[in-house]
Amino acid sequence: MQPKSPPNPIRRQLLTSITSLLGFVGVIFAAIPFLSAFKPSARAEAAGAPVKVNISKLSPGELMTVEWRGMPVFVYKVSSEAQNALSADKSKLADPNSDQQQQPEYAQNDTRSRKKGIAVVKGVCTHLGCAPKFYPEATSQDFDPNWQGGFFCPCHGSKFDLAGRVYANVPAPTNLEVPPHYFETDSTLVIGSDGAS
Amino acid sequence: MTTDTRTKRFLSWIDFRFPLTEVFERHLSKYPAPTNLNIWYLFGFLLIVVLAMQIVTGLWLMMNYTNSAEEAFSSVEYIMRDVEYGWLIRYMHAAGASAFFALIYLHMFRGMMYGSYQKPRELIWLGGWFTYLILMAEGFTGYVLPWGQMSFWAAQVIISLFSSIPVVGEDLATWIRGDYLVSGITLSRLFAFHVVLLPILLIAIVFFHILALHEIGSNNPDGIDVKKHLDEDGVPLDTKPFFPYDISHDIFALGVFLIIFCSVVFFFPTGGGYIIEYVNYEPANPLSTPAHIVPSWYYTPFYAMLRAVDFPLFGLTAKFLGFATMMAAVAIFAVLPWLDRSPVKSIKYKGILSKTFLGIFVVSFFALCYLGMVPPTETKTLLSKIFTLGYFSYFLLMPIYTRIEKCKPVPERVAEA
Amino acid sequence: MKLLVFLAFAFFSGLSISAGDYKCGSIECYEFSPDTKDKESLQRGLSAYMNYCYGCHSLKYSRYKRVAEDLSIPLDIYEQNLIFDDSKIGDLMHISLKESKAIELLGAKPPDLTLEARLRSPEWVYTYLDTFYEDSSRPYGVNNKVYVNVSMPHVLEDIQSELSEEEYDRYIADITNFLTYVSDPSAETRKQLGIYVILFLLIFTAFAYLVYREFKKDLK
Repeated sequence: MQPKSPPNPIRRQLLTSITSLLGFVGVIFAAIPFLSAFKPSARAEAAGAPVKVNISKLSPGELMTVEWRGMPVFVYKVSSEAQNALSADKSKLADPNSDQQQQPEYAQNDTRSRKKGIAVVKGVCTHLGCAPKFYPEATSQDFDPNWQGGFFCPCHGSKFDLAGRVYANVPAPTNLEVPPHYFETDSTLVIGSDGAS
Repeated sequence: MTTDTRTKRFLSWIDFRFPLTEVFERHLSKYPAPTNLNIWYLFGFLLIVVLAMQIVTGLWLMMNYTNSAEEAFSSVEYIMRDVEYGWLIRYMHAAGASAFFALIYLHMFRGMMYGSYQKPRELIWLGGWFTYLILMAEGFTGYVLPWGQMSFWAAQVIISLFSSIPVVGEDLATWIRGDYLVSGITLSRLFAFHVVLLPILLIAIVFFHILALHEIGSNNPDGIDVKKHLDEDGVPLDTKPFFPYDISHDIFALGVFLIIFCSVVFFFPTGGGYIIEYVNYEPANPLSTPAHIVPSWYYTPFYAMLRAVDFPLFGLTAKFLGFATMMAAVAIFAVLPWLDRSPVKSIKYKGILSKTFLGIFVVSFFALCYLGMVPPTETKTLLSKIFTLGYFSYFLLMPIYTRIEKCKPVPERVAEA
Repeated sequence: MKLLVFLAFAFFSGLSISAGDYKCGSIECYEFSPDTKDKESLQRGLSAYMNYCYGCHSLKYSRYKRVAEDLSIPLDIYEQNLIFDDSKIGDLMHISLKESKAIELLGAKPPDLTLEARLRSPEWVYTYLDTFYEDSSRPYGVNNKVYVNVSMPHVLEDIQSELSEEEYDRYIADITNFLTYVSDPSAETRKQLGIYVILFLLIFTAFAYLVYREFKKDLK
């Protein structure tokens, strides 16, 4: 049949536009549950929850590896001489002042630590993700005759100092990441949270 | 260049390589729909919407579901509690299954009322029948997946029906299960059917169904052949283009449907036990059968028939005969186009006999639906037998009553109806 | 057609007996209306559950953190007072009682109760907690009217003798409310969201109807 032309085209246009708009809004609202369902579930949150570590037995020169969110986190003591050395010689480092955002604010210092003497860094080389090896002693090494202590990554030879700061002219571009952490007590370290303010 | 010209040029680039505009106009915007279509013609569109919804919600559920006997039940609780909005997606999918069946029964009933299965629409009807069959399998396999008590025992009962087939029954049942009992192996394969095999078949058959429909054109409540009177462009006079007339009706219907659907999802998600049986909140236990095993409401009419046939005949067990009756009740829909000998299509113009038998069918269907849900008693089994006869009488006597009854003359044009 | 749909709906919703037979074992269930909005009741129920039930009955689909948040209990207080082992706040509520030990002690495995209120109904749970009685023929000297010959001892026996009838009633009502909550923790969120959804759909459908009628004018 030949439909007649509308008696009131403006009313028609208005009604159609409002309904279309409402429909569009409805679709957006309907999408929200589906998009939200992609977020980490309570199970993921629980598995990725902050980890508590007892550091009372940590001895100097010992590397404690803690798993957090499926990644290794290195926890170790740094002696006061070593701390001074970290401030003194920064000539070989690519980012000596930790300008790149690889650490929380409280770790933007020369020892890149929240509490003096305890270092907490992610054991993930910032090149391609291998776990660097711990060489805490300041003795000559095959990979560096003037080694002052720190990490050496066996995969492609990146070097980091005892504060996790990356050397210049190595494959890794940035300092080792410092995860959020805080000290609940002197012997309890919590990795994965900045702690209550 | 204005946006309009850009669009036109883009479209002609596509149209030169792919029949986009032609297909869109022929099957959607300019599809000629009879002017006398009524409410009963809204269910096809709603079915497509529900199909899409089941696919989307099902996909999301699959992302978090584990299809092993050990983990299935807890993975569903994981979805309900730990996944954000998982509870909503799960309830939508469960309610969606019931909605799917409610709509398909209404959709089929439209066909029965208006003779939409008659020549030359037999293939549309057959395609639809096949869709119904696949949907029944889809509903069954889906219900097993949560691996609750009802999931397990429903699988047990339905698969053991196959063991009633003479000679090959037991081996067949074992082959279907993939094990000597309903186990995690059975669950995994039903999962594969539910998620891949049946949805693909469903989508393919629905595509075929719509293509066959568009080839002939829609029937209408008066059964008038609108193609007998065409305008100078060859478009039937008693039709209007789908856009914007039918689409605006469909969108309105969608709104009404969503109000009902969301009321269920948000306020009665278990459907009082009809959508999610309470017994299914207990993990599957092969050693303990629940007091009442009931299939979902959309299968209960056939379940009632299964239980009604409680006597052996000609050396065949009651179990097998009940199974065969149940299958026949579903299968008989397929031959409807050839049972109907009436010269007219629509019930509005058929005689008193057709109207009576259709009424008997409707009453029997509802009665059997109820009887399939309740525990059997002597009276109820007798009633089930009576209503099973009522159900089949609509079909089996149709070649006779549609031929002998007096029909009303069908008008030529919709305006005369 | 709408009439048909409505009738079908009413028909099916009226058949609640067939879908979920909640009769309480040997007796009819007591009347009980769970109130999962009463957070204080839920908190008391949780506390009672942790003290009297959690030794044997796990809530293994529920997480401490979710319960704490839904019941408005600060996480650190929850951790200190309501977690009795070294589980973390985000963990699932498992128990340490082994199935073999339980069967040795009690003759049957105490079921996980996360979904009990959904499986049986809140009325069933309430009636069950209220109908323990003396029965010297049973291993623990008690029997239950709802779950006949239950293997569970009357754990709340001391409480029941200490409290008045009204107070005990309140006590088991709190536990039942808590179990009702834990069986369906998203219930309140669901209903609140549902109101907004239906409201939106009513407005949308009203406009869709006007559009439909507007176009229909062309066909007169």
